[in-house]
Amino acid sequence: MNYTISDKAKKVTLGLAIVGLVLLVIGFSQQKEYVYAKKVDNHTVEIIYNGHADVESQDNLKESIKNKMSGYELDFHDASHGSSHIEHLEDSHAHHGPTFNWNIHIKHLENHNSSLLSNHESGADILVNKVESGEVSFFDSGLRRFWSNLLVNGFFFFGIALGALFFLALHYATESGWGVVLLRVTEGIMTAMPIGMGVLVVVFIAGSLGIHHIYPWMDSDLLNPNSSHFDPIIYGKKAYLNIPFFWIRVAAYFTTFVLFLRWFKKKSRQEDSEGGTTTHFKMYRRGALFLVFFAVFSSTMSWDFIMSIDTHWFSTLFGWYVFSGIWLSGMIMVMMITLYLRKSGYLPFVNESHIHDVGKYMFALSFLWSYLWFSQFMLIWYSNIPEEVIYFTERIENYKLLFFGTFIVNFFFPMVFFMSRDTKRSAGFLIVIGLMIFIGHWFDVFNMVMPGTLFDQWEIGLLEIGMFLMFLGIFVYTVLNAISKAPLLQKNHPFLEESKHHEY
Amino acid sequence: MADKVIFAMYDDDDKLMDGAKHLVANKVKVSDVYSPMPLHGIDAIIGVEHTRLAITAFLYGLTGTMLAIIGIRYMMIIDWPMNIGGKPNFSLRENMLSFVPIFFEFTVLCAAHGMAITYLIRNKTLPGMPPRNPDPRTTDDKFIMEIKTSENSHVPEKDLSKLIKDTGFIEIEEKNIL
Repeated sequence: MNYTISDKAKKVTLGLAIVGLVLLVIGFSQQKEYVYAKKVDNHTVEIIYNGHADVESQDNLKESIKNKMSGYELDFHDASHGSSHIEHLEDSHAHHGPTFNWNIHIKHLENHNSSLLSNHESGADILVNKVESGEVSFFDSGLRRFWSNLLVNGFFFFGIALGALFFLALHYATESGWGVVLLRVTEGIMTAMPIGMGVLVVVFIAGSLGIHHIYPWMDSDLLNPNSSHFDPIIYGKKAYLNIPFFWIRVAAYFTTFVLFLRWFKKKSRQEDSEGGTTTHFKMYRRGALFLVFFAVFSSTMSWDFIMSIDTHWFSTLFGWYVFSGIWLSGMIMVMMITLYLRKSGYLPFVNESHIHDVGKYMFALSFLWSYLWFSQFMLIWYSNIPEEVIYFTERIENYKLLFFGTFIVNFFFPMVFFMSRDTKRSAGFLIVIGLMIFIGHWFDVFNMVMPGTLFDQWEIGLLEIGMFLMFLGIFVYTVLNAISKAPLLQKNHPFLEESKHHEY
Repeated sequence: MADKVIFAMYDDDDKLMDGAKHLVANKVKVSDVYSPMPLHGIDAIIGVEHTRLAITAFLYGLTGTMLAIIGIRYMMIIDWPMNIGGKPNFSLRENMLSFVPIFFEFTVLCAAHGMAITYLIRNKTLPGMPPRNPDPRTTDDKFIMEIKTSENSHVPEKDLSKLIKDTGFIEIEEKNIL
């Protein structure tokens, strides 16, 4: 039985991608680089900025502040050369002083009668609020939000495909019988791996060229003992975290995964035409071999791609934690695609018990993920060692709702709703809760990346939503397209009969 | 006609399964099966009701969580607040994270023990209870199907014995229920 991608599916997925692209383009122009404001008194605000800004953009910012503060008369004073700064002794390349430091005197215009302006709030308060909310800010020329989101989505969708590949290899290595009828769906999902890989490679190239600063250890300034930015901790990790070795590892991971992926696909097609058990036993051995590679690579990969963003921090559990999320998102994708195909009348051989078993995987892996999340969090929170706990301090201070919300959604929803046997067999429950934890795990990756790249200046805006939708659309389209390339049933798989009659 | 219980013995689980299918297809109610090992799918064939052990497990687990929370609150917060690692020792809410492993373990303990004891009571297999299997050989390599005539009054006795004979048992025993 062959699947042909329907016009409706094509329209929905590609439409999703286009809508996402449009939102992304709008969101792209809204990236902000924050300035810091301090209220001196009711009529004076001090605005400080430490990044790079030329005179023109500084003037633009002044204009924008004046526009935002209509009804007030503003008076700018440059305070950066005031008596409080005595750093002139240092050479000009290593100045620690701010790029600018303005004292803004705010005078309320008497003749301006706007009822919108609150009487209780002074002009200084209003300006400080506007600065803190990011309403008054530079355009982020470093495109930090864009690059960070590219990393989040690239890794998330790469992870889904990798989770599917892992599941396939596990299925062969353990000589399981039940899921044979799902293997073509799994194959389709893992075929979409190059999307995520390509995006990750783009992010890594840009990082290596210094276009973005997601990975601090890629900045040679931090490794130079003579530089004023010298970071002895990162210097100590130089043997592992350096650009050439990083690229060797990336190449090793990606070629290994792609080779296995292509090999598995080739062999399963070959089995279709040749029959017999020779191919099956080859795949059994190769599946076990893949698990060996995966065991090492899934850990080191998550250190390299994600954990090294917070270069000072480390957690030995991180690899498993990332892996459990990867596998779970992969299983959710298997479930969603299977339910969709089944509803469209394909996969007549997939019965309730197969759905139930994938549902069990979703349930169990949610627990695995929660267990690892909590183990990592609790031990670090409890021992309270500064160099470790900083990771969670950042997250709890600036991402509190997201950080704990992600955990609650990804733990309690599957626990409460998937505990019963009946819900694991009901498409409605599986879709609603599955989508929730799917998005929950996207936010999990978001929580891993953003606090190290955007700090407190994160946002969930059009850029984030748009890019997620765009990737989702392209990913699902690629998956469906890949599934349509081969028969939906591996007709010569030795365990096919067992799988067809699978019960419980 | 006195109520009788018929024990048909088989030496192969597949024969028993096929026999049970045959009987059920002819509207005979098979009340129970005794077997040395679990027979996959037999409960669906003879129509055993779905177990509610899972629900009791959940309730036992919930009980365990509650007991753990109450116990820890009394021991670690109220009675003797202990300062471990500088964590807040005066508030259960703020210090809850450190107690989660205990909540978890106690939940598992109560769920597992509760479930095991319920299972033994429900099956009347608590240690020391008289065995209920009709023949000790069912703990070795024989399989027994139990059919009660009281549950099969809609099937004529003649038909019933013929149907049972068709299943290929190796031994049959009839007992009157007093």
